[in-house]
This record gives sequence, structure tokens and C-alpha cells, in this order.
Amino acid sequence: MSLQINLDQPPFSFLGEKELAWLKSRLDLVFFPAGEVILDVGQASPGIYILYKGVVEETGSDGQVFTQYGTEDMFDVRAVLESSCKHRFTAIEETLCYLLKAKDFIQLLNSSDDFSVYFRTDLGTQQSLVEQRGGEVSEFILAQVDSDTMRTPVYVTGQTTLVRTAGMMRDEKHDALLVRDGDRRGIVTGSDLLHAVLNDSLPKDTRVADVACFDLVTVEEGEYLFNALLKMTQHQIERVVVTRNQEIVGVLELMDMLSTFSTHSHIVAMRIEQARSLEDLIVAAGRLENLIANLSGQGVKVMAIMSLITTLNRRLIRKAFELLVPEKLNSQVCLLVLGSEGRGEQILKTDQDNAIIIRDDHVKDALMPSLQKLHQVLLDFGYPRCPGGVMFINDAWIHTAGDWRARVGKWLNNSSPEAMMNMAILMDAEPVAGNKELFDEVRSAWHQESLRSSIASSWFARPALQFETPLTLLGNIREDHGAIDIKKGGIFPLVHGVRALAFEHGLYETNTFDRIDRLSEQEVLSPDVAQGLKDSLVLFLRIRLRHQLEKAEKNPGLTQQLKVSELRSVDRSLLRHGLHRVKKFKQWLISHYHLENL
Amino acid sequence: MRLPLWLRRRLPGYRPPPERWAHMELPYTGDDVVVVDCETSEFDKKKGQLLSLAAVVVSGRSIELSSALDLTVRSDAITHPDAVRVHYLRQEDRIYGVASADAIQQFLDFVGNRPICGFYIEYDRAILNRYTRELYGFELPNRFIEVSEIYVRQKRRYIPEVNLDLTFEGLARDLNVPVIDRHTALGDVVSTALMFIKLQRHSAS
Repeated sequence: MSLQINLDQPPFSFLGEKELAWLKSRLDLVFFPAGEVILDVGQASPGIYILYKGVVEETGSDGQVFTQYGTEDMFDVRAVLESSCKHRFTAIEETLCYLLKAKDFIQLLNSSDDFSVYFRTDLGTQQSLVEQRGGEVSEFILAQVDSDTMRTPVYVTGQTTLVRTAGMMRDEKHDALLVRDGDRRGIVTGSDLLHAVLNDSLPKDTRVADVACFDLVTVEEGEYLFNALLKMTQHQIERVVVTRNQEIVGVLELMDMLSTFSTHSHIVAMRIEQARSLEDLIVAAGRLENLIANLSGQGVKVMAIMSLITTLNRRLIRKAFELLVPEKLNSQVCLLVLGSEGRGEQILKTDQDNAIIIRDDHVKDALMPSLQKLHQVLLDFGYPRCPGGVMFINDAWIHTAGDWRARVGKWLNNSSPEAMMNMAILMDAEPVAGNKELFDEVRSAWHQESLRSSIASSWFARPALQFETPLTLLGNIREDHGAIDIKKGGIFPLVHGVRALAFEHGLYETNTFDRIDRLSEQEVLSPDVAQGLKDSLVLFLRIRLRHQLEKAEKNPGLTQQLKVSELRSVDRSLLRHGLHRVKKFKQWLISHYHLENL
Repeated sequence: MRLPLWLRRRLPGYRPPPERWAHMELPYTGDDVVVVDCETSEFDKKKGQLLSLAAVVVSGRSIELSSALDLTVRSDAITHPDAVRVHYLRQEDRIYGVASADAIQQFLDFVGNRPICGFYIEYDRAILNRYTRELYGFELPNRFIEVSEIYVRQKRRYIPEVNLDLTFEGLARDLNVPVIDRHTALGDVVSTALMFIKLQRHSAS
């Protein structure tokens, strides 16, 4: 008899052919009438149930519904691994389940590494297993910096003349040599020599140490090639030095990487850098979305996509700013990106969230025409207008540093939700162009010891609770037409809760992942909780990105609705775990900030 | 109503099972049943050759698929064209099966003294008895349970004059049981087992 469920999906697809065949021969079929309790609290589970037909509900001891299971979902792995069940599982409809007996399940765990890793580890590892298997993984991107990809370094001493150095470059067929000068290590490239001799008219017998660059950009051996590429993009260089325990072991050349690199992230980056006109920039911006789809399709981790896109987006905006704002005004103004862009968590473009700090009020008149143009360019880049008006062209979001400080003070003395949201938006700000010192001045307004223990902290945290976690909706498609709002339900409460903690503890980080790490270091969050939150956020972002790319609508970045039934069953179950974590985190916030009565 | 063992033993023509299966006579005290289905070369109690045989233990609500018996019988019987269209077991599919004696032995070891249940079980009973009698000189002493009979009894209890669709598909539809791989022995067994479980539930309540 053929099996009536599809086991060709994680975690079963991690099994070998033999093990899968064995598994299929070990399944029993069990029937439960509607209303019957399948597993109760404290009961030992006879094994893993895999749903064939019907709906099963998981409830806590207080009757609170955690989640519902549908076809091909399974439960309860924890009860099997931990020998007793923590929740109650009830058949809501007549239900048919395949049952894999506990001892057979354990035997499978022992016989397959991938399979057991999936079950015995936390959400994050489960997810990375799923991510790895999902789609075609470009080998290059997952390749690491090792002896195959880098070149052995060729050294010259600092005393060597430029002529001799050029000769060595030709003989060794290297365009870059490392320079040993006393304890210092530097690098000199062909173009350095060119500039020294032709532009700066240095004599040919100048010591190479005088033209070499001693500020080396390095990557550690074993890092992903992708990270090396990010560093080159950030520093606008074409090679990085590879180290092992701080010892130089090689040089990684962009040209070597490019010859194998199939996506075009660097090409997009070069286009941005070389753009001479706004039109060039707009073309480059238009390629970003394609790039994201490519990277995602090749199975690149969502975290890597995120940091690459953040780097590119910021350079895009900075370049536009540089092209439009007169250079003499540069030190008088600072452009901030806010919201997800500020946190570096934007992948597909959402709306424009930005603000301007100016040194004096009278700069504003000189500046306004260029800012109007900049706003238009951002629209052309594909950032839609912000419906909430959080844009520097509105008077509310362009002030002098002093006025900003005053506003922050006013917000923090006012418990209204609008004031708190404004504060939240500004708190994620990241200066991308202009004079960054202006921002430091403004930021000190909320980095004050006196604020941390004040009531402002708990006012600030409150919005994290404003949306219900959509847990009971899962598996049951009767409300919201089978969709959940992933932003309200998962991302916002998590991000805002972490933001509130960052506010309370005076963190400078804006990225949620960095904030969580820092909070964990300061022992505000336990390592388990910190890891769980990070895993959940990555998961939400990954599922949302996949969903948005599939929709292929205009401005896909604005879509927050997830159709639960369109998710793969494994994603559905990961999502359930993630939302569960968010719910727990919200409960923790309630007790931490004493929000019980709000 | 089933006659007690001492009385059955005294009936003319009763032949006790040999030593190996002596326990099959003993009264059964547990709650399990064995659901059985046979596919034959033609639909005839006297001439039909056993082609495949499936049996599964139903214990409470659970169908113990992992220990199910699912045998294809090696037989050179000419399959009746009508029958092939039902079970799709061509002569070529049966070369890899087990000998019919082997199949019957495994089956007898498997059922023991548990009650045997099926859909139109009289047919399967006749076929199995014929083989057992020819090979080992006895007939199955087990209690037999007819699924469609329980079904009719339950339906008639409430509406005596009701018109019932007593086909396999009809029962499956009415009881909301998935029909899995119809006319493979094990597929039919699983669907029948589900019907049985659901009917048990109704009669209990």
C-alpha cells in the first residue's frame, strides 16, 4: 500500500533512501474521533504522530491554545525526546495520524546525522538545514577563504626602491606585493607606484615604504568568500589580506574571485561607485531588486543578503547626496536613514524613512532645493513615499541639532503613543551622509543615565504589546482569509521589544541582531533567549522575503501578509515555533516593564 | 451466536487444528481483531486461486501497519480477464511471490486465535478455509466479523426501512473513510479497518 502523505520534505528528506524506506515500513495508522485527547500533559508519547487527515489542537494546562496542526504536520517531538508531554493535544475533527513509534524514531535519529541534528537542535540550526537544502546553492558563496582561493604573499622590504618593486611585480606576475618595514606590514599595488611616480613625481629610487599602505584590510582564513567580497565593497579595494591567528598567510584578489563569481553584486556596487550622474544611479538602483532575487534563489543566507543590500543601499543614498548637495554645505548637514533601513534590516525597499540634522537654521534655505531633488531621486530609486510623513522634506523631520534635542526631551516626557513611536523611529537612525558629528550631538539626548530607570522606559516598551500574536490562527484558515500579518504578529513586537531594552541599557547599536548580542553580553537576556530571538527574526525575514519575491508585485517590500497555507509544512512549523518565542518574549517584557495593567 | 468450543468440537465434521495451531481453538480474551483481505484469480469460492493476502491487527484505534502481513502469492493460475481489471495482479507480477502453502502458514501464525474481520468476509473465509483444509486438514476456528453487517445493524436500528448502499465505496463514503489503493489487498484492509474502528465507536456510544 502506498503512503498517503508526502515524506519528500524536511526533515524526512534528510534521510537516506534506505532509511526512508525503513521509516515507511514502520508507520502505523491511528484514528481519533473528534474531541478525543490524543496526548495529555505529563503523558509519555508512544511516538511521533504525522497527520494524514484532520486537525489537532495543542493547548496548555490553562486551556490556552498554542497552535493547530494540519495535514503532514507532526507532533510531539519534545514529548518523545523528553519522555513526557508538556501540553495537551486534542483532535478537533476526526483525525487520522501515522504513528512512528518512539523507539523507531530514536533509531532513525541514531542512524542519520542530518535528521538528528534537525530534531535535537534549536530553531536556528533547523532553519539553516532547511535553507541549505532549499534551492540551488551557489558553491562559490558558501566557499571559504582557504589556500585554494588565495595567493601566497610575496614580500619586499621597506627599503626596496620603486624601480626594483616594479621589476618584482613583473617577474612574479603579481599586481600587489606585501611590504615588510620593521614590525609594520603593508601593501603596495601597481597603481600605487603609478600614482607615486606620475602624479606625485617621486624619484624612482624612493623607498617603497613611503608609498605603501600600512592600514591593511584583512579577513581571517576560513571566513566565507562572501564576507571578503563585502569588505572589498565597503572599502572600495580589490584585494584583502588573509590572516591566520593574526599572521598574514595570503592575499585574496578580487579578479580571482570574480572569475568564479556568478552573481553581480560587485558589478552593481561598481556601477554605484562609478556613477557620474543621477541617471546612472537610478539604473544601478533598479538592479538591486534583481540581485536580491538572484541571491535568494541561489540559497544565500538571508543575513548575508541583508548586510550586502544594506551596504549597497547606503552607498547609493550617499552617492546621490554627494551629487546633489553642494560640497560647501557638507559639514553643515547630516542625513539620517531611519526605521528598518537604519537598523540595516531592509532587504526589499519599503518606504522612505529619513531625517536631516542641520547646524543652523539659516542653512535650511540654502539646502531645501537640493533636498527636494534628493527626495525625488529616492522616489526614482524605488523608495515609495512614507505614508506617515517621516521624510526630511517635511518640517517635522528637519531640525537643527539643538531643536532635535529639545524634541527628544519633549517626547520622553510625554507618554502618548505618537511620541513613543517618533522616539522609536529616531532611535534606529544611522547617519549615512554629511557631517556625522551632528548626529552624535543629537543622540546624546537619549543616552542619559537618568532616563534608563525612569517611567519613560516602560512607556517606550508598551507598543511592543499592541498587536496580538497570531498563534491561534495557524492551521485554521477561518480568519483574515488564511493570512497572517508577519510584521505586526512577529517582526514588530520582537524588534520593538529589543529596541526598548536597547533604550533602557543605553546601547549605541541600531541593528536588532547586534542589539540582542549586546544585551546577551550584558546578561539582560539569557544566551538561550537571545539565540531564540535571533533565530526567530531571521526566520520571519526569510519567509517574508521568499513570499514577497514570489508575489512579484509592484513594491513587493510593502507586503506583510503571509498566506499560511502556501507555506511549506516545515516552514509552517518553524513559523509556529518562532511566533511562540515572540509570545514568550512579550510576556517577559510585560513582567520586566510592569505593563500588566496597561 | 457462536457455539461454545466444547459443543463445536462435538459437531460432526469438526476437525481440530494440528499441534502447531492448536492455540487457534482457544477462546480469545483480548480486544484486538485482525482485518483480512484476499485477492483471487476469479470471483469463485471453489475455483478462485489465491493471488495476494493481507492482514493487519487493529488494536483499539490503532491500525498496526508496521507489523502488517502483505503477501503476494506465486501462482501460475490463469487470471480471469475481469479479475485482472480489478486487482491488476497479472501473472507477471506474481513470479516474485511466496508459495501459497507458505502464505497460509504465515497467515495462520499471524492471526492466532484473534477474531477475523473483513468486508464480505464470507468469501475470504471460504477461500482461506479451502486452502487450510487442503494443506493442513482443518478450518479456521476463529470468530468472524462482517463489517457490512455491523453497519446494517446500526443503520437499521434508527431507520429500519432505510435504503443502504452496501458496496465498499458506499460504506466508505457514508463513514467518511478514505479509500486507499482500492483492490490491493493491503489498501482494502486499511480502509476496512478504518470502517471497523468507526463502527465500533458508534456502537459503544
